[in-house]
Amino acid sequence: MQRVPDTDTPGSALLSVRGIFKSFGTNAVLKGVSIDLLPGEVLALIGGNGAGKSTLMKIIMGIYTYDSGEIYVDNERVEHNSTKEALSRSVYMVPQEPLLFPNMTVGENITMGFDKSPSELETELQAAVDEIGWHLDLSRKANTLSIAEQEMVEILRGIMRHSKVLILDEPTSALAFDEVKALFGVIKGLRDKGIGIIYITHRLAEVFEIASRVCIMRDGIIAMAGNVSEFTRDDLVKGLLPPNAEKTAERAEKAARSIDYDADPVLELRDFSGYGFKHVNLKLYPGEMLGLAGVVGAGRTEMATTVFGRDKVLGGKVLLNGRDITGLSTKKVIAAGVNYVSEDRFCYGIFSLRSVAENTTSALLGGKRIGSFFLKRDEENRITQSYVDDFRTKVTGISQDLGDLSGGNQQKIVIGRTFATNPKVVILDEPTRGIDAASRGDVYAVLQELRQTGVSILLISSDMEEVVELADRAVTMYQGRINHEFSKRDINQDNLMAASFGAYHEDGEDA
Amino acid sequence: MPEDRTKTVEATQTKAAKPGASLLSRITAGQGSWNMLLMALIIIEFVVFGAANPKFLRPQLFFTSLNDSLPVFIISIAVTFVMITGGIDIQVASLVGLTSIIIGVAWQDWGFSIWGAILLAIVVVVACGAFSGFLIAYCRVQAMVVTLGGSFLYSGLALIVSTMSSTESYQGISGFPDAFKFLGGYKFFDVFPLQMAIYLLLLVIAFILLNKSKYGRKVILSGTNPRAAEYSGINTRLTIMSTYMLSAFAAAIAGILLTSYLGTAKSDLGSDLTMDIITAVVLGGTLVTGGRGSVIGVALASFAIGLVRFGMPLCFKVSTQYLDIPIGILLIVIIVGRSAASNTSVGTRLHSLFAGKVTSKA
Amino acid sequence: MKAIKKILKARESSSVLFLVALFLVVGAINPSFLSTANVSACFNTSVVYTLVAIGMAFTLFIGEIDVSVGSNLGLVATIVGMMLRDGSNLMLACCVGIFIGALIGLINGWGVAVMKAPSLIFTLGVNGVLRGLMYLVAGGAWVENLPKAFKDFSAVTAVGDLTVYYCGAVLLAIVIHILLTKTRHGHNFKAVGDNRAGANLVGINSTRTMLLSYVICGVLAAIAGIIFCSRIGFVTSTTGSGYEMKAVAACVLGGISLAGGVGSVLGPAVGAVIMASISYLLTFMGFSSNYDNAITGVILIVIVVADALIQARSAEKNRHARLAARVSDDVTADVAAAKGGE
Repeated sequence: MQRVPDTDTPGSALLSVRGIFKSFGTNAVLKGVSIDLLPGEVLALIGGNGAGKSTLMKIIMGIYTYDSGEIYVDNERVEHNSTKEALSRSVYMVPQEPLLFPNMTVGENITMGFDKSPSELETELQAAVDEIGWHLDLSRKANTLSIAEQEMVEILRGIMRHSKVLILDEPTSALAFDEVKALFGVIKGLRDKGIGIIYITHRLAEVFEIASRVCIMRDGIIAMAGNVSEFTRDDLVKGLLPPNAEKTAERAEKAARSIDYDADPVLELRDFSGYGFKHVNLKLYPGEMLGLAGVVGAGRTEMATTVFGRDKVLGGKVLLNGRDITGLSTKKVIAAGVNYVSEDRFCYGIFSLRSVAENTTSALLGGKRIGSFFLKRDEENRITQSYVDDFRTKVTGISQDLGDLSGGNQQKIVIGRTFATNPKVVILDEPTRGIDAASRGDVYAVLQELRQTGVSILLISSDMEEVVELADRAVTMYQGRINHEFSKRDINQDNLMAASFGAYHEDGEDA
Repeated sequence: MPEDRTKTVEATQTKAAKPGASLLSRITAGQGSWNMLLMALIIIEFVVFGAANPKFLRPQLFFTSLNDSLPVFIISIAVTFVMITGGIDIQVASLVGLTSIIIGVAWQDWGFSIWGAILLAIVVVVACGAFSGFLIAYCRVQAMVVTLGGSFLYSGLALIVSTMSSTESYQGISGFPDAFKFLGGYKFFDVFPLQMAIYLLLLVIAFILLNKSKYGRKVILSGTNPRAAEYSGINTRLTIMSTYMLSAFAAAIAGILLTSYLGTAKSDLGSDLTMDIITAVVLGGTLVTGGRGSVIGVALASFAIGLVRFGMPLCFKVSTQYLDIPIGILLIVIIVGRSAASNTSVGTRLHSLFAGKVTSKA
Repeated sequence: MKAIKKILKARESSSVLFLVALFLVVGAINPSFLSTANVSACFNTSVVYTLVAIGMAFTLFIGEIDVSVGSNLGLVATIVGMMLRDGSNLMLACCVGIFIGALIGLINGWGVAVMKAPSLIFTLGVNGVLRGLMYLVAGGAWVENLPKAFKDFSAVTAVGDLTVYYCGAVLLAIVIHILLTKTRHGHNFKAVGDNRAGANLVGINSTRTMLLSYVICGVLAAIAGIIFCSRIGFVTSTTGSGYEMKAVAACVLGGISLAGGVGSVLGPAVGAVIMASISYLLTFMGFSSNYDNAITGVILIVIVVADALIQARSAEKNRHARLAARVSDDVTADVAAAKGGE
């Protein structure tokens, strides 16, 4: 176990934690963590799911209590027994998932919990909004905001509190490119004012862009730490993986695929329009993995869910092997042979309290494979077990509750459910979002296997590397329309990134 | 990006507010151990009541007294389906009275045959359930409020129907044909009531429906995560609506049997059943938030409650009106105990001792 | 001007309009209704419902519910009634009553906020226990022969034909409303109901807030019980039964959402008048009392469904507008797209 090698005594640090231990019941989540945060620096904190980052932050914020250890703010020993105490010490955490009040306005949301007069707060708030340069209507109800806008409101809350220590838990996961740039500008401004910022992220590129020091957490301890300048990207990846990780953490080898582009497309969207996208023309060929890149809000998910029967079609057609499946209900779309894995696994994907088997076969209830009236349990179990085995999903048994599995394994089950319906086309929406590096490799391996079965896959992803790695062809969506298509040799991160921002030109120069 | 903000914010709220979700699932996954606890409770009741007054164990008296709890037995099974979908049904009690009075008035004043009257009552009451279910499932109005309004509406309708009869409402309609009274009155070997047998049959059907049929699976999944169910191609709205029709049907059956047993049709039959029904469903292991429930558990729980209602007055001379106290306390203890088990570390440690056993989903 | 617009748009205004419309309709059918005495009677009879509904509103704000208010009212009415009947000092009896209400609220709050039990079920259990206690305390008999002065006070009017009791209730509602909307911590209740984790994050002690809301609810139910004694003059063994449902109905009519975080205490006050006077109004319209329940049910369902549909409609519109805003009208993008698909 390596300690952060900066300061041994909590002398000059803004915030210090020493030897924090925390267990939930018999589950030890933090096993002796020590961190220093100096004034005017951005400390990146990275680690896989379950490493303990969020727990540590919640302890600092007084949301959880810790079993042993010490916390110092400004060299003073503190006991953050409640959030109120943490807030009074000018420590503020912007949570990963926005925790706004849906029925209150933006303005009310930001000013909740302050002990000042309403008029004072209004002027302060306006100043903060102007400073940050974001355009936000303060009178809008929070339940009408997009996730990105909700994030912004949370960040504004932190700024309003003039915190000395600001904790940002994956703040950019839902932000668009220009919003991220604006955020970084704000962070740099706060840093220059002497505020200490702990920046938690899954995006390694951001570490190099914004942070001066980095801590890598793994399995409840700090595995590595140091100045960002001393690390390369591979160093970070190595630090994230457990010591004996197989090379599954590295991207799976892609088999060379030759797609017959002269054959009829298996899925075709013709002038397809709906809420959030317009005049989409798209062809997906048999056995192809087509990447669909674009920034958050480009309309990819909306297009996919509309195909899937979740929203009204405003125009155009969807053809599956020539058959018109436009506007069909979800049940009929699945029966026809198209299935969809949502990007929000928690909300739209998993039945947390039910077993692995029930989760795997939930989409089969429409057909007859697991029975007409009575459930054919053995068939159900057989199907489930086959997917569990094929995907190497870590379960104690097919009757284990899905909520007990890790994110990566949950995702495998959901993918299994989707393929169990024997679809011709599968649309995957951000399949590796929120999954740690080790499981990611597993999911890629699974996808490669499934490609061998001849299923065509539409891969919606914001991870450009992923698209480069896996796709046979790629299209980008920008502001609700398909704006570019790339053949295999033209797929690279720069092109995809540029096209996603509407800045790609044929001759290769940026706008 | 999920565009439905309210849902995302809600889901986040649920996620953040239930850190022990997987712990809770472990606790209630122990439905098998929960059922055993209920069995133990029933055995204790038998022992205590039987010791206090051996008449308790006399079959004739025993079964006759249990008849009083039969409506709760029957209806609570169906309300379990409703609560598994995350809803609640507090209008069932008024549907019992509506069934009864329709039978009475249709047969006596409108010239229906007794079986025609019964059929009419069932159709009307299930339609009421469908109506409420439609509002809940398709118009997305909260179940509590719809069934609250429904309880006013349907009990009011029952009263209005009773005014359409030549008999005064407070008197109740009687004089039913023997064939009808047979349903509620006949006893096998003079001991075991036909009503009970009907109940047991319904119990078996409900068990099969919930655990062995695709419909039951759809009900469970619609309650566990309706959005994920939709994305799996399940028609959650139709499924949820159907559960209210089931509970209405159960109320109708209870109303028929009760009317037959008492020999009188009255519009306010069953008006005080709601608390016992909800208590039975919750005591039986059903999660108020949906996704988990057990037919066997509810049957055992309603039985345990029925025993208290029968045993206390007989064996301890406790007047029936006081019985709300022990049953209320039972409900409180169960619900607090369950919350404590999932929300405190002492509880989870204690429970992991139990949960290691059977994980059958009865 | 902006303030007036805001008031008109408020959900409570539609409740008020509904009430006024109701009165006008009844008056149109039977003009003898439109006297100050009759209209005032509608308000006066609603005082007990109003208090219980306001208390219930607190628990609904935090996203929970309290179905024990009916038997809370009944138990306090029984005990206070018995004390007064047996010659106790009025002040003492009221203090005892309020104390009991607070105690019940504390127990409910403990179960829901501290032990995190589901509120519907926990308060249902408490409801049963209280109902049994009511019977126990009174020995199954009615409580009668209350002091005449106590009973007569219920008829004393303050403003026009409105009783002191009702005016007091209205005043209380207004004061509470101001406290909830204008003070620093007044928003806490709705914040906790809107997003409990979010409330914790901004430093609100959600447990304490929830406890407080149940205590307030219990106290208001107790006060309602005392006033019930005064108005009705006797207490039966089923007094208060069903009041929790009427209170929920009043709150819902007044625009409060069962999910929490929405509404004010003024809405329930209006809703309570509607709930209380339906029976009275129906008599004027020539309906027998047999129609009371049915019509109450219809009104409740209609209002709640209308609310839900309107909300859903506007949420959909918002969503579609937001999504449409992201789609560009750039035609060149179409050209590029049309080239796609070799």
